[in-house]
Amino acid sequence: MSALTALIIKDIKQLLRDPKSFFMVLMMPTMVMAMFVMGYGETRGAVPIAVVNLDGGVVSWQLIEALKNSGNFKIVRYAPTKELGVELVRRGEVYAALIIPEGFSECVLEGRSTQLVTVLDSAYATVSELVWEAVVVAVQGFLRMAAERYGTFNIDVVKETVYGPKVSSVDLFTSVVMGVLLHLVPMSLIAVSISRERERRTFEQLIMTPISSGHIVLGKLLAYSIVTVSDMLITLGIAVAILGVRVRGSLIDLTLVSLLLLICSLSLGLLISAVSRNQLQAYQTAIFLFIPSLLFSGFMTPVELLSPAARAFSKVLPLYYFLKAFKNIQLRGWGLGDVAWDCAALVVEAVAFLVAAVKVLRLRVE
Amino acid sequence: MGELAIETVNLTKVFGSFKAVDGVNLRIEEGVIFGLLGPNGAGKTTTIRMILGLLKPTSGYVRVFGIDVEKRRREVLRLTGYMPQHFSLYEDLTVEENMRLYASLYGMGRAEARRRVEELLEEFMLTEYRDRLAGKLSGGTKQRLALAVALLHRPRLLIVDEPTAGVDPPLRRYFWEKFRELKEEGVTILVTTHYMDEAEHCDRLALMSRGRVVAEGSPLEIKRMAFGGDFLELEVEGDPAPVLEEVGAKVVDSEVTGDFVRVRLLVPDAADYLAPLTRELERRGIRVIRAYPVSVSLEDAFIKLTAPIEAEAVAGCRR
Repeated sequence: MSALTALIIKDIKQLLRDPKSFFMVLMMPTMVMAMFVMGYGETRGAVPIAVVNLDGGVVSWQLIEALKNSGNFKIVRYAPTKELGVELVRRGEVYAALIIPEGFSECVLEGRSTQLVTVLDSAYATVSELVWEAVVVAVQGFLRMAAERYGTFNIDVVKETVYGPKVSSVDLFTSVVMGVLLHLVPMSLIAVSISRERERRTFEQLIMTPISSGHIVLGKLLAYSIVTVSDMLITLGIAVAILGVRVRGSLIDLTLVSLLLLICSLSLGLLISAVSRNQLQAYQTAIFLFIPSLLFSGFMTPVELLSPAARAFSKVLPLYYFLKAFKNIQLRGWGLGDVAWDCAALVVEAVAFLVAAVKVLRLRVE
Repeated sequence: MGELAIETVNLTKVFGSFKAVDGVNLRIEEGVIFGLLGPNGAGKTTTIRMILGLLKPTSGYVRVFGIDVEKRRREVLRLTGYMPQHFSLYEDLTVEENMRLYASLYGMGRAEARRRVEELLEEFMLTEYRDRLAGKLSGGTKQRLALAVALLHRPRLLIVDEPTAGVDPPLRRYFWEKFRELKEEGVTILVTTHYMDEAEHCDRLALMSRGRVVAEGSPLEIKRMAFGGDFLELEVEGDPAPVLEEVGAKVVDSEVTGDFVRVRLLVPDAADYLAPLTRELERRGIRVIRAYPVSVSLEDAFIKLTAPIEAEAVAGCRR
């Protein structure tokens, strides 16, 4: 056997004998793919939209029927006026409002051109894009079907957006970048903190002093908060001052929401640290826990497009609440009061993680 | 008889299927230097860690100054200083920063902490290193710092795990002098070591082997326990046998050269026997040329005491 083969065999043996590496190699891809299938597989969620039918004629209902069948969105509200439809979009209850103008049926029957106005929420560009495409496709299908019955006519699909004309991609990505920076980085940083003390044996001397596990957990939380809060301010500062990211709401509100996520991430990291035996394990756990956030927090795909099971799962992810609150403040210009529930969720999670960390941390060297 | 500083009752620790500590009963009186002696892997560190509440015993319990360690550990910690086997302070903090940190953790006020740190820096010859990172210190200096930190809160009990492993002879001597000074101040010291010569400095010893205490007592008692008494050597002219038989001294070894006889004897107590035995021999007309007690080392005693256990263990493995 050559030296190389011997080395290869030795490394494979070591990988298979170490339960954690084994887990990383075989279980992790399986679990991630399972999550992926669960979230993005067959049963998809639908985007909630509103319809304003100013016409009320037969043809307009036929169009609505066609839109319903497209399956990509779900009509959750019928609003009586255009203003009300737009307001629903603005409040975030629906992602789009389709407005069928007065005299729509008449125009179709007389073979004239008419319009379908689609009011989109530019704060959620991905969803808006999706709705827009689906509307266009549905309308085209309707045109083909209706042409046989009513003769040739045309429907222009007109795009309108709330929150100004256009939201740049920098604006859209700010929340995502901030989310990663304020979640993964602090979490993995603090996750190794206690296991590092164990590995360097400083833990043994530390726990010979009359301190409690609460002291250790809170001490680390505050120290890391103080250090990482500068990171947060720098990132936000660069985004606003250099990249010129537009913030419709208050910058103070944004900072507060970011601070909440930061503390929540650190608390989760501390819980990981309290249960981990060594630094490597802590790192792997932190990264492993980040994967569901990546898939289900609205980070890549809007939560509304996930399956119901995955959507329920999103509700436990701190990043989900952060992205929601951050976007609403930044792009929709909401105030802190409007995102109070998201903030409360972050606080509750942070407290839960901290309490668990204090309970789990054993002041022993086993 | 003073108060008990440490009492362990049936202390046992099992790791998986390995019994690291197996029913250890120790009673350590206040104000003594107590040595826990044994080879690597005998269970000394595990025992110490259980005494300090760093490990949870599988069964049995520990009391320090009468306080249950399991239930009231924090009270015990205020009375106890600990110097672990491996350097366990923060290598990325300076000498002074480490000491200040621990002073605060022990709840000292700012002024008190400053005073105490200065005192210890001086006492342990650390003043010149005060601003140096602990990681950059030499082995001996690290050990001095570790001991200084263990003594910050003026503990009544000091527990040191292999303080002199890998330490040069002058520093070893320094450490033992410190321990004696501390003892003078009334501090109880529990020290583990596998250096037999060091163990002679202890007031009392417990010999551990494979998780069990195989002997306990003063160094002298342990030697007597191992060999069944003290050794004497006599060089006489004439036949000492009848006298020796009368006084109940056991001849271990003898060598006859013409009229001269050299014998090695085992007696219950060398000091009690030497003078009367010489007088009796002289009275019977046997000229005593030389008579002296033979010192045996603790190492000999240790090997004698642990040999059966080791042999049994080896046999057990073969079976």
